[in-house]
Amino acid sequence: MKPKRKKLITTLLVAVAVIAVIAGLYLYAGKEPFIRTTLSGLTLGSLFFMVAAGLSLIFGLMDVLNFAHGALFMLGAYMGWQLYTNPTFIFGMLPTVTAFTCGVLVSPVIKPFLIRWELPEQWQKTLPKIAYVLAIVLLILAFLNFNIMELASTAMVAATTTMVGNPLAEITPQEPLAQFWYRPVLLIISGLLVAFASSKPGVKTEFAPKEDLLKKAVPSILLFALTIIATLFRESAPIAILLMNGNLRFLIAIFVAVAFGFMFGALIEITLIRPLYVRPFFIVLMTLGLSFVIRELVQLLWDPLAYQMVRPPLFAQSGKAASLLEWLQNGNATINISGVTFPTYRLFVILLGFLMFVIVTIIMTKSRLGMIIRAGVQDPQMVEALGINVKRVFTFVFAFGVALATLGGIGAGPFLPIQPLMGDQFQMLGFITVVIGGMGSYVGAFVGAIILGMGRAFGDYFALKLSLSPAVSEASTVIIMVIVLLIKPQGLFGKKE
Amino acid sequence: MKEKIPREDILIVDNIHTFIGQFHILEGVSVRVPKGSITVLLGRNGAGKTTTLKSILGLTPPQEGKVIFEGAEIQGKRAFNVANLGIGYVPEHRAIFRALSVLENLKLAERKKGDFERSADFIFELFPDLKRLSKLPGNHLSGGQQQMLAVARALVPENKLLLIDEPSEGLAPILIQQMMEAIRVLSEKTTILLVEQNFIMASQLAQQFVIIDDGQSVRDGSMTDLVNDTGMIHQYLGASIKTRKELEMEHEAQA
Repeated sequence: MKPKRKKLITTLLVAVAVIAVIAGLYLYAGKEPFIRTTLSGLTLGSLFFMVAAGLSLIFGLMDVLNFAHGALFMLGAYMGWQLYTNPTFIFGMLPTVTAFTCGVLVSPVIKPFLIRWELPEQWQKTLPKIAYVLAIVLLILAFLNFNIMELASTAMVAATTTMVGNPLAEITPQEPLAQFWYRPVLLIISGLLVAFASSKPGVKTEFAPKEDLLKKAVPSILLFALTIIATLFRESAPIAILLMNGNLRFLIAIFVAVAFGFMFGALIEITLIRPLYVRPFFIVLMTLGLSFVIRELVQLLWDPLAYQMVRPPLFAQSGKAASLLEWLQNGNATINISGVTFPTYRLFVILLGFLMFVIVTIIMTKSRLGMIIRAGVQDPQMVEALGINVKRVFTFVFAFGVALATLGGIGAGPFLPIQPLMGDQFQMLGFITVVIGGMGSYVGAFVGAIILGMGRAFGDYFALKLSLSPAVSEASTVIIMVIVLLIKPQGLFGKKE
Repeated sequence: MKEKIPREDILIVDNIHTFIGQFHILEGVSVRVPKGSITVLLGRNGAGKTTTLKSILGLTPPQEGKVIFEGAEIQGKRAFNVANLGIGYVPEHRAIFRALSVLENLKLAERKKGDFERSADFIFELFPDLKRLSKLPGNHLSGGQQQMLAVARALVPENKLLLIDEPSEGLAPILIQQMMEAIRVLSEKTTILLVEQNFIMASQLAQQFVIIDDGQSVRDGSMTDLVNDTGMIHQYLGASIKTRKELEMEHEAQA
């Protein structure tokens, strides 16, 4: 019974301390500043959580420190901003991406046949190499004379002009279909070659059953259909999106950012991280390098500038709403919360963060997947020995973590400047959040994120009120971390191992 | 190997070599497990018994040699594929999932939906404690209960072969009895390959033995032969191990 009593006493002490701190702040600052600062803290905390939750799960399950998380957060903001402001780039690129992926995903269907192919050993090695080289040649041919920079520039122009005018004004005419169609065709063939090479033809030691071939073919067939649709509607889809209601467009932007994050995350895990699990240190270097590559690519496409994303109409009308209902009816930019004027969009970010926490909690506690993740954090080998494909779970968790980060990115889009370095600060704070909350604990990530967000907000408040240096707010993060690590070195919700 | 009555081997491990990092852990291990019996791997600490089990399952894949399960080669397959062929694994050190409740631990072991519902009665009959504790998280269980759970977990899906690593390790004598009884009941349903340091327990349970020494399988045969061969026991398993015969003689002397 002793450990139980000890736990009870600590919980009580912590509760008393927390209440005392909150009450002290309330009494000292007064009602209105307290509410305003708390809401700002929660806004920041929500964003921190969306970055930290992914970092924490990824580290807890696979011991991967993902230093590209901040860059992916930034990429999420860019993707959402692109779709919202001018989706010409996204829809211009879409058919090429789906075409190539469609080809690659044929691999599980052809693998069972290819590995049973009688092939001399020498050809087993050379044939894939030839296929890879051919695939690269086709890839280059497919993108030859394809003006990606021009596609990318549309949103840049739109961002500077659509404030006043009509968003449709900046739609640039694209390559006509008669000229464009060969690109997706070449890319499908290139993808098929990659699928052929990665299936290891003739290698008898590989294992691939001939079961469920039809089921395995489904993603590839779907992508093939999507390629045709995307090719045909390459030019009209952006116009259709821009004609939509701004709120709906923003919803689609969120969806696109999340879907992009999920798929890009899965791609990174399968192609870059999976071969390096045996060399953990290389993963750190690789993800760090990846973050530089992503940042440079973004700078290449959209110049190292900061863009301001226009807020969706629901958060844009001038005037203060007196209640939630009034805000939803009129779409006011600010809302009155017990006497405090607070931007409605930030309220939305808080809701988003809490919603994500609820969703992650449900997944982790109620689903079989969550059970596998919690078990895998402790012992992935044993999970595999039970007959569960742990590698696939790794891929999912990585993709899910990245999707949370990109969601954070697009969430931050409408109130932070969108620029190539916007994710770095969040990555840093995400890591600190994970350290405070405890590795591998999503609850810890949530609590840590809220604490850090509050520290930032109240740090800013006190800096202003007591005319201290503004660095107080940034120092608060480190001070909190030091205190937590002194008291609980494994983090607030970390397990001693 | 002695010629005996024709028998059907569910598992044949043929001269496997396994490396962990740069270390050559297994340097030629061969094991045959006849269907419907208990075979025990004996040997000193660090001889390679656990690695043999892990190599069969594919957790530490062998670089050389063959593992044949029900007539099909399985070496080089990923562990989850091997497990799904119907091989259950009870790891050493009671590696249950401490963050999961007893019920969740069991449910996680399902390979098909409904596995647990089907086997629950049998499991809780075998280990009544687990039913009582089913809501508790794994880290609240005692060592013995954790070991029961580790075994129970392997019983959730229908397995044709169970690999059990040191079930008696660190258990109180009364629990060892209970565990032995459980394994005996299990052996009526499936074939078992056991790793066991407790020689008394091993000799009472198993019909066949394989001795692994320095990463090689050096002897095998029927358990009855081994029990009577004090010389072999002392050579490979250590002088401190007492055979049943010696224990009986001691008992008589004390009486």
